[in-house]
Amino acid sequence: MIELLAPAGNLERLKIAYLYGADACYIGGYRFSLRANAINFSNSELKEACEFAHNLNKRVYVTVNIVLHNKDLDGLKEYLEELADIGVDAIIISDIAVIKIIKDNNIPLEVHISTQASTLNAEAALFYKKLGAKRVVLAREANREDIKDIKDKTGLDLEGFIQGAMCTSFSGKCVLSNVFTNRDANRGGCAQICRWTFDIENEREPFSMTPKDLNMAKYIEDMINIGVNSFKIEGRMRSVYYIATIISEYRKIIDKIKMHNLKLNDILYSNDIMNRCANRESAPQFYDKFPSDKEQYYLGRTEESNQDFLGIVLESSDNEILLEQRNYFKIGDVVEFFGPNMEPFTYTITKIYNENHENIDIARHPRMLTYLSGLPKMSKGSMMRLKVFDKSNYL
Amino acid sequence: MIKNNNLVLVTNNEIVETLKNKCQESSITFLFPVKDFCVGMPCFEIEEIKEESYIYINRILDKEGINNFKKLLKNLPSNIKGIVFDDIGILNILIETKSKLTKILFLSHSNCNYETINSFLEYADSVVISTDITKEETEEILKKAIKPLVLYAFGHVAIMYSRRTLLTNYNNHFKTNIEKETTLEESISKKSVKAIENNYGTMIYTNEPFNNLALQNSSNIFYNLINTLFIPTEDIIKILNNNTDNFEDKYPYKYLSEEETIFRIKEERP
Repeated sequence: MIELLAPAGNLERLKIAYLYGADACYIGGYRFSLRANAINFSNSELKEACEFAHNLNKRVYVTVNIVLHNKDLDGLKEYLEELADIGVDAIIISDIAVIKIIKDNNIPLEVHISTQASTLNAEAALFYKKLGAKRVVLAREANREDIKDIKDKTGLDLEGFIQGAMCTSFSGKCVLSNVFTNRDANRGGCAQICRWTFDIENEREPFSMTPKDLNMAKYIEDMINIGVNSFKIEGRMRSVYYIATIISEYRKIIDKIKMHNLKLNDILYSNDIMNRCANRESAPQFYDKFPSDKEQYYLGRTEESNQDFLGIVLESSDNEILLEQRNYFKIGDVVEFFGPNMEPFTYTITKIYNENHENIDIARHPRMLTYLSGLPKMSKGSMMRLKVFDKSNYL
Repeated sequence: MIKNNNLVLVTNNEIVETLKNKCQESSITFLFPVKDFCVGMPCFEIEEIKEESYIYINRILDKEGINNFKKLLKNLPSNIKGIVFDDIGILNILIETKSKLTKILFLSHSNCNYETINSFLEYADSVVISTDITKEETEEILKKAIKPLVLYAFGHVAIMYSRRTLLTNYNNHFKTNIEKETTLEESISKKSVKAIENNYGTMIYTNEPFNNLALQNSSNIFYNLINTLFIPTEDIIKILNNNTDNFEDKYPYKYLSEEETIFRIKEERP
């Protein structure tokens, strides 16, 4: 089984992730989840998420991955029972108390071990397998040999991160946030102290421990070959545009691998698209080598925000689309449409209409409704972005 | 009053000899960090350890590390009576080999509640209670634990463990030559932390030692863990001889034990 696994901080992002090609999404409820400050899902939204996913024959995993304190145990059993009733496909946990509660109460839930457990060797994975875990989310520090060994010796489903932000620390082994801000890193309140700068006495340059993002595009095929089953994108706090862009690029890569026609140029193009969307540089990090200063950020780093995401398609007929504006665009802009089940195509804006079908030159107001004409029918949720890269230059 | 035994994490031979001479030896079990299996402190070759003692392994072990641990375990001298460790893989090996070593799980920053601790106590002889909880939470855990536990009673706390060699990377990037042990000061808050690096990664510690001695005589304690790293030996002697009258003034830092951490910075939606 090969699975593309997307983050989703709310229902809108979850639906976008599936539409753009995710096989599964991981999401959090209001409690017990490590992204306490994402919008997250109420129990009724969790149910809606499962119904939406299962209708598409896709899966939903729910994070129950905080490090539990005594009082967090209150209501945990009931929550797990609710998740089972809702029909979630698995829960992602880091604290073995959750497994004990599931076992003691015969709650029918599949368990995946979170990357918070920092599983880096086969013996640790075997321990969790004996406890009943079906899958282990690998430590981000695992290299190719570690992963292969874990697969060979355990046969467990393996889930590996392929894209997104990295912790400086082993996951779960950091409380810098607790110490500096009293915000609990291991219960979802991380203040990302590892992205702050520090001074060293008598040294002119500030000390930084910030890693660049992870990007595994060029190693996906190799990861499949050594037995990784699930390819995970980081980022439950990320936007719909980020999710749509990253998922669609990795969907194309995985599908081309399955069809045995992935070329280096495809990866280079996808990486340019993804790096621009993420606004940060990225690298394979630990998989292929031991990371050096080249895989870290220091001051003077290149982190440019952009306004590439121009709008999202709300309706589409044979010749016209209704687009909700997300960033300023104007007549004369060369843009690109991309969306579910379609090849991106280029479009030069010659006319813009407002919601009353009056001609305008510029779409300047956030989320204003606009009509664009001369366009083929496309799926609701398709997106318009500034055209920056031309695929033909990569052929 | 209960007088609990002390598990004393040592990082050089000199302090071992001094403590043996100046403290009541029967109340001390030495804990030796083992070379190639630890990050963030000076370590010992296994052959250097002569006392009846425990060994300490705080690395998260990769494939090579876990294989090396299996070799270490096979050749472990008989004076090694116990092991304190962070990696769950080590726990699995100790279970599978039916090891007679006293097994103490020190899963840093986890083990914050009694259910988790009791779950691990089905496999380990004891567990180090997390330092990241309040005094009241620790007391509740001690009350509800099914076996005696290890209390982190005194010492600097490791608050971040990275596989990256962060100090080396800084040196390489800026062509500098800072030591592998240094102090980092956060640029705005001016709070400091200590950083130590070896080939296996970087450990960051609190700048001050956590004084948790107020709980050292609680019930259901297997050991009080005393971390001697960065601490003057004369103060370790005072702790072990129960002569800590001025310690509240000298070492007032209570780490996270006095105030609950927060993790939600906005209200839940209805």
